[in-house]
Amino acid sequence: MLSAAEAEILSTSFSVASLALLWSLPFAIGVAFLLARQFRGKFLLDGVVHLPIILPPVLTGFLLLLLLGRNGPIGHWLEQVAGIHLVFTRQGAALATAVMIFPILVRASRIAFEAMDPRLFDAAAMLRAGPLDRFFSIALPLAGPGILAGAVTAFAAGMGEFGAVITFAANIPGQTQTLPLAIYAVLQQPGGEGEALRLAVMSFTLAMGGLIGAEFLQRWMMRRLQG
Amino acid sequence: MSALDVDIRLDRGAFRLEAKFRIPGDGIAVLFGPSGSGKSSLLSAIAGLMPCEGHVRLGRELIGDSAVDLHVPSHARGIGMVFQDARLFPHLTTRQNIAYAFKRAPAQKRRDIGEVARFFDITALLDRPVGNLSGGEKSRVALARALVAAPDFLLLDEPFAALDGIRRRAFIQVLLDTQRSFGLPMLVVTHSIDDAAALASHLVVLQAGRVVTTGAFDQATREPVFTALLDPRDSGAAVSGLLLHSRPDAGQKYLWLRADHIVLATEAPKAISARNILEGEVATVQMEEDGSRLVELKTAVGVILSRVTGEAAEELGLVAGRRAWAVVKVHALQH
Repeated sequence: MLSAAEAEILSTSFSVASLALLWSLPFAIGVAFLLARQFRGKFLLDGVVHLPIILPPVLTGFLLLLLLGRNGPIGHWLEQVAGIHLVFTRQGAALATAVMIFPILVRASRIAFEAMDPRLFDAAAMLRAGPLDRFFSIALPLAGPGILAGAVTAFAAGMGEFGAVITFAANIPGQTQTLPLAIYAVLQQPGGEGEALRLAVMSFTLAMGGLIGAEFLQRWMMRRLQG
Repeated sequence: MSALDVDIRLDRGAFRLEAKFRIPGDGIAVLFGPSGSGKSSLLSAIAGLMPCEGHVRLGRELIGDSAVDLHVPSHARGIGMVFQDARLFPHLTTRQNIAYAFKRAPAQKRRDIGEVARFFDITALLDRPVGNLSGGEKSRVALARALVAAPDFLLLDEPFAALDGIRRRAFIQVLLDTQRSFGLPMLVVTHSIDDAAALASHLVVLQAGRVVTTGAFDQATREPVFTALLDPRDSGAAVSGLLLHSRPDAGQKYLWLRADHIVLATEAPKAISARNILEGEVATVQMEEDGSRLVELKTAVGVILSRVTGEAAEELGLVAGRRAWAVVKVHALQH
């Protein structure tokens, strides 16, 4: 079925997308919860969150290089203090992907939080639940289906992230070479179309699987929620 | 138990609420007023869900005082609240809804969920999701949940608004039983005079954001400001339920006897089906706008109001000091 090289590409893609989701999701949920309420300067935060969608992905990758590269303010500090290298590493690929899928996660989570009846918070408060308690016991479970569906979509999108990853983490087989990067690489070689097609089918299958999976997960959780 | 001391002001747009009153720490107090008078806002302010000026004291403890910038958050006030719409958590079963309160109740005040469920007759519902409970069931579960959180004071915002007829009376009975069995002081919002009479030992009357009268129920309901608030068809008087022949389940505090439902006689009626015949003395006779007379009769069970036509009042010679008998149909007591 799969060649060793293809298996490696798949595993790189999975690991990059999983790490990206793991890093991005907690922040996305927090920001989405904020955005679901009213506060001053909300439009600013909303704008910043959506930047990765609006900017060309290559530019996002370039900005990450400037900030997190060896000579970047944060990158320099990370290397000195913690010995962490992000540029041209799997972690770097995951970080670039995390930034790219962030708006997808925020959007899905925010819609889920906004659909929730805020009066349930008052009810929970009158049962002695504090703010953090209410977030974890009421908001998160009720927004769960929406957040989960967003996570699956973001994971599928993360598997296909190209511009930011190749700019920030380069195209290193076994390290940062995910499916789209591999497709790009084989297309650079003469006669690589056959291999590119195989990778394209894999990529397509995974993306569709992700979308269908998200739909089923959401239906299942909604059924559970509504009894 | 904990008395509630309230002296607050809050502004919401053009609406201003100014309320100062004290509720004794035993029995049920009713917050009565027309819609839009600020009843729900007042409850939210006491619960700490809505910011306000002034202070709220529960028992000896100050739980909010704008003068010293003190605002104990809602979850730490020791106050429970039952909302009009029950607000059960849709992602939890009935049992989990009640357990939510149990887990957060102080350890030494925890009540057994099974026992509480039996008390409210909801044992059979425990493992059902809350989505398919009926209105009456939801109200009982919400009350059980609030009770399990072990508050020192319970606020109820029109908890029977969604119920009618038999279910409403049944829920009032449950509230009375709850108060008696658990000794939990309550403040119940309602705009129904019959519900108020059935529940209240104490009354707070709110009109256009102001407390117009407050005090013991039978006293406060005789204040002209209170009478003026009522629909003329609801004019009447509170009579202690224990003193009348009534239906056997009545553990009610008072019964609201509507003036329209009381027949007056100037001789002791004989051979009559009514079981409640109260002898008394006419105190005042007041001419109403439509020409009818509102007769105030002093009886052994308290003051009773009766509305009679002008013609009847003249024929019977109903004037102050006249001896008269008030005839009450038992069915007039069953609203």
